[in-house]
Amino acid sequence: MFGTHDIPLSFETENIQLNIQKQNGCFVYQRKCNDEEEEKTLLAKKTTILINPVEPINKPKEITQYLLIDIDTSVIVEPRSTFKIYLTFPVAIGVFIKRVRDYDILDIFTRASQKYTLYGDQQRGVICRYWESLAYSTPPEVDPFQLGILELSIKNTTERWVPVSKAVFNAYGMKIYYSSERVSMKASMEILSESTAETEFFSSPLKKDMKKSLELYNVRKLSVLSSTFTMADGI
Amino acid sequence: MILDKIIYDKVTVFNLVMILAVFVAAIIISRMIAFYIRRTLKEKVKQDTLEIVIKIITYSFVSAAIFYALTVLGINLSGLMVAGGVAGVILGFASQGIIGNLISGIFLIIERPIKIGDQVNIDNHTGYVEDIRIISTTIRTYDGLYVRIPNQNIFTSSIINYVNHIVRRFEYIVGIRYSDDADKAIKIIKAVIDDHPFALKNPKPQAFVDNFGDNSVNILVRVWSPISEWYSVKMELLLEIKKALEAEGIEIAFPQRVVWFGDRDNEVNKEAGC
Repeated sequence: MFGTHDIPLSFETENIQLNIQKQNGCFVYQRKCNDEEEEKTLLAKKTTILINPVEPINKPKEITQYLLIDIDTSVIVEPRSTFKIYLTFPVAIGVFIKRVRDYDILDIFTRASQKYTLYGDQQRGVICRYWESLAYSTPPEVDPFQLGILELSIKNTTERWVPVSKAVFNAYGMKIYYSSERVSMKASMEILSESTAETEFFSSPLKKDMKKSLELYNVRKLSVLSSTFTMADGI
Repeated sequence: MILDKIIYDKVTVFNLVMILAVFVAAIIISRMIAFYIRRTLKEKVKQDTLEIVIKIITYSFVSAAIFYALTVLGINLSGLMVAGGVAGVILGFASQGIIGNLISGIFLIIERPIKIGDQVNIDNHTGYVEDIRIISTTIRTYDGLYVRIPNQNIFTSSIINYVNHIVRRFEYIVGIRYSDDADKAIKIIKAVIDDHPFALKNPKPQAFVDNFGDNSVNILVRVWSPISEWYSVKMELLLEIKKALEAEGIEIAFPQRVVWFGDRDNEVNKEAGC
């Protein structure tokens, strides 16, 4: 399903039905995902559609730019060392429609469960999209239409063993890659103290054959001031 | 020519036309800049910050035009300040309220207890802050009324800002029958809360038996939600809780009274002739 397609088109996978068919002289976009349905009429003669994973912060409504991954069993990191772990993250699928040189967003949907949380206190904290994940030592096998794999490189710069139970990311800095088998991102977490860390995404695929996603903040031409996030309220 | 006609001292008709033209140009240019700023920065900058920037630009242009007019009219600004000392005392007494509102307005803009778009309660007026002007602040109440409050009143009264923090809590009391299983009801309520995306995971929601009422076991439910979604979550969750409880056979209790007749057995025996 991921990739560029000419219309008309039709896809059906587990819990996702997506069709663009000609009806009464117009193209009609119809999408069903879980119990959510969307229908739009496209006034176009011919166009190209791009379907790829996007930042998972838009459903049911975009209220934040942060993603918090709660690690089910917290990991404890050795002093002055760097380790890699693999986490899962929710996949949101973006359907883009071609314009003259670029793309506009047509629809976003997700099969992953949706939940939000507060990171930090009520005055200075931030609302985050909440996700629970186990920590894996190797990339887990997951359904690419529902879950992605996040390779997280944790660098402990302190002199102590530091437990890590969560990671908060700025979704505006996400660099998502996809293939027919997996969706992935790579990020780093630099532990600055027992309760402070800095996270950042970097642009690199998990496997060589993966394509780079067109992210939403790119399409909307948002000027991103910072793509890092400083976790100052606990890690 | 008419333009060269002297009106007084060295001021000609041409000077007056120029002053008028500068004022018109200042207003037009400031409005064009305001329009351009609104269009380009609307989605990137918060509305209240945008309005403050626009106000600063507008006032700067108007001030520049006034300064130009005074210079052309030959009014000596240093002399005006000396005269202003005497006139200031007179004007000060005459316009205490206006000056008070003006200074309060400046402090409101600096301190920012409220911002444009915030939902507030000031002087028992509840609604959205529409504009914070230099003399007064306007509020659009929830039922669509326009309320103008002088800034001095705002500055000296207590302000409730409903959206200052990013999260807000709401609570319900769910009364179930004494014959229903309270543990099961709490589990169902927690599951409903867990299913709602905007009922926050942290701060943790609570559901517990709060008290034994006259007609029901009262379960207190507390839920935190992002401030932007607070009202819709509050509206949606209660109905979902009711539906979920009823689907499991747990009913919301209603007031009822059981009346016992102490001599009921004797009455029955009499009627039976025993």
